Amino acid sequence: MKFLPLLWAGLWRRPLRSVLTGLCIVTAFLLLGLLEGVNAGFAQAIAEAHRDLLVTNTRVRGGAPMPIAAMASIQSIPGVREVTLRAYFMGSFGEPVLNNTVAALATEPALFFQLRPGLIVNQDGLRAMRENRSGMLATPVLLQWFGWKVGDAITLRSQILKTDGSRDWTFNIVGTFDSVKNPATAYFGIINYSYFDEYRVENRGTAESFYERIADPTKAVATAAAIDRIFANSSHETRTRSDQERAEFQAKQLGDVQFFTNAIMGAVLFTLAFLTGNTLRQSIHERIPEFAVLKAVGYSDARVLGLAYAEALLLYLPPAALGLMLAHLAAPLAKEQIGAIIVVSPGVALSGLACAALLAFLGAALPASRLARMSIVDALRKR
Amino acid sequence: MALPAQILAVTAANVRSIPRRLGNSLVIVVGVAGVVAVLILVLTMFVGFRTTIRGDGRADRAIILPRGAATEYEGSLSRETAAAVMNAPGIRHDGRGQPVVSAEVILVAPVARKGDNSDVNVTLRGVGGQYFLMRPELRLVSGRMFRPGNQELLAGASASAQFAGLDIGKQVRLQDGDWTVVGIFAGANGARESELVADALTVMSAYKLDAFSTMGVMLESPGAIASLRDALARDPTLQVDVRGEPEYLATASDGVNRMLRLVAYAIGSIMALGALFAALNSMSSAVAARSVEIATLRAIGFGPSAVAVSVLIEALLLALLGAALGVGVAYAAFNGTTISTLGGAVWDSQLVYSLTITRSVTAAAVLLACALGLLGGVVPAIRAVRSKVADALHES
Repeated sequence: MKFLPLLWAGLWRRPLRSVLTGLCIVTAFLLLGLLEGVNAGFAQAIAEAHRDLLVTNTRVRGGAPMPIAAMASIQSIPGVREVTLRAYFMGSFGEPVLNNTVAALATEPALFFQLRPGLIVNQDGLRAMRENRSGMLATPVLLQWFGWKVGDAITLRSQILKTDGSRDWTFNIVGTFDSVKNPATAYFGIINYSYFDEYRVENRGTAESFYERIADPTKAVATAAAIDRIFANSSHETRTRSDQERAEFQAKQLGDVQFFTNAIMGAVLFTLAFLTGNTLRQSIHERIPEFAVLKAVGYSDARVLGLAYAEALLLYLPPAALGLMLAHLAAPLAKEQIGAIIVVSPGVALSGLACAALLAFLGAALPASRLARMSIVDALRKR
Repeated sequence: MALPAQILAVTAANVRSIPRRLGNSLVIVVGVAGVVAVLILVLTMFVGFRTTIRGDGRADRAIILPRGAATEYEGSLSRETAAAVMNAPGIRHDGRGQPVVSAEVILVAPVARKGDNSDVNVTLRGVGGQYFLMRPELRLVSGRMFRPGNQELLAGASASAQFAGLDIGKQVRLQDGDWTVVGIFAGANGARESELVADALTVMSAYKLDAFSTMGVMLESPGAIASLRDALARDPTLQVDVRGEPEYLATASDGVNRMLRLVAYAIGSIMALGALFAALNSMSSAVAARSVEIATLRAIGFGPSAVAVSVLIEALLLALLGAALGVGVAYAAFNGTTISTLGGAVWDSQLVYSLTITRSVTAAAVLLACALGLLGGVVPAIRAVRSKVADALHES
């Protein structure tokens, strides 16, 4: 600690150079923090996703829906705790144009909300759905879009034919629910499957998805395979995935993102290592006579080397920390602008700082080794 | 000595002394090279995506969508609507008097990306018999056409190269069993090459669908879109929008496009800022190292502007060297690489495109390099001539 003033003075020997080098490091770590934050964002989404919640869909999207009779078979698989189902309702409010389209998930609300932790409902809403078969829960954005309010009865014109021959479906809005992840874009409602299925003509007794909760998350893959075996070789083969697998799938859908973040991070690190390495080389080289004086008054080689490395760390770490902090502050902006979830987590910050320390060490290693090897007499003669 | 001659003399002296301060001069070269290489990467990704999507647009083609639909996959067009559109005015007819129209149904097929074996979707486009007449830029490069009524597919050349199991003779598991790939098609800028194509009615019967998703029509001329639009608007039973193909393609890809552009600009500008600091650092050190030399020059009669301009020229030369290095690295590292990202015709289907470095992207990166060199040189150049000759000489 007592050497801090000495290190500090060394850094400020050429203030412009130190400041510009520091700014380089700040910008580099801002970029590195953001890019590594993209990777961390995906990793976090995957880690937070539930492994004990499974979703069964038709293997081929747009394929024939699955018979709900299969739910009993799913329920009987060891380790499956709860099963529920989901069918899809679509209609339009007013003129049949896209802006008027209303989508609703037909399900068993009480169970469905338990198995979809990303959707939040209160007990009043659930009770109202139980008491009112033709009830609908809507997100606040959906209500706002059409100017509806709780208590309204709405009539939707659908392609789905009703048993009474009409295509007009009337629902009572009995409450609201919230989507945790996408509150601004969750334009959909929840209706009772039993009501919907009773009145529809086609596809009765079928669902497009099943949702399961299993007792042991480590058995997710085996249980999913067991569920898919129920439907194997039928006209509606399924693919069951845990929420965690679905999050991984989503990350991969985006494309070769990791290739890009890694390529850019590599380029930034190489460039930075070169730029800052040069600063350290110059800085130590210029002060060889001073280091020689230190050695002449009895400082050991190790201590002189330690001073050189410590100065390098002092040059690197504060700007790197500042850059990572800026990345942390900029992350919400990225979500707002492009929807990218960037998480500058403690792990990202720590690996960033470790990276900075490594760069400092590498940059100082070459000039410092000359310091250790120099002869005091030669070095002092340079004065 | 006249000013140009002075500038030339000082610049030549500067350049000759570069080897003596090689490490310092390389800072600006490497810094600029890093920016240029990364900027070319992000811009090439953005430009590659845009040209692949928009490149196929023709002014004499139109897309018919359900009223209000922003994309091809989200709405439905009934068979009656499709029949009415086929008989509408403004549509080109082939030699046998048939309208050049393709009523299409858009689905996705699950495939595995060859590179990392990850599950992704490609667009499956069920098309009408006139599809290839409507898109003369596409041609069958191997195999044969599908036969309507059979579960057969054609794969786009890019899709076939990027994803596993899309070679001729291979089977793709879709609704109602396995569909066989019987041919490969290619052509134009390639957005369509990322897709699978099958007969629309065969697909609809397998998927038990009763409606199309979208229609493509060839117009008699680019101007005929107005008469088609008017005719369809007069029929109140038809709830459709008529969009010119170039305009449709531009808006449909807008979201991903905007994201890629923002990413390119954000990464590019952060990198550029860092490189600017590096260039300033490098040129300041260069000037500081030669303060005596510069003072001597001025003492023997070289004007301040000659000295300042020569510093700028040196910075510019080093930046250009860095730009050349960066362009070289970019070409060697990724030019011609094929990648796939979201951006197909369906929200979660893949678009395959190649990273081809264009001249305008290179030019933009080199221009930025020049700007960095000049900006990095200007402050040190002013400092070089501001210092008092006597003080500088005294330091020695």
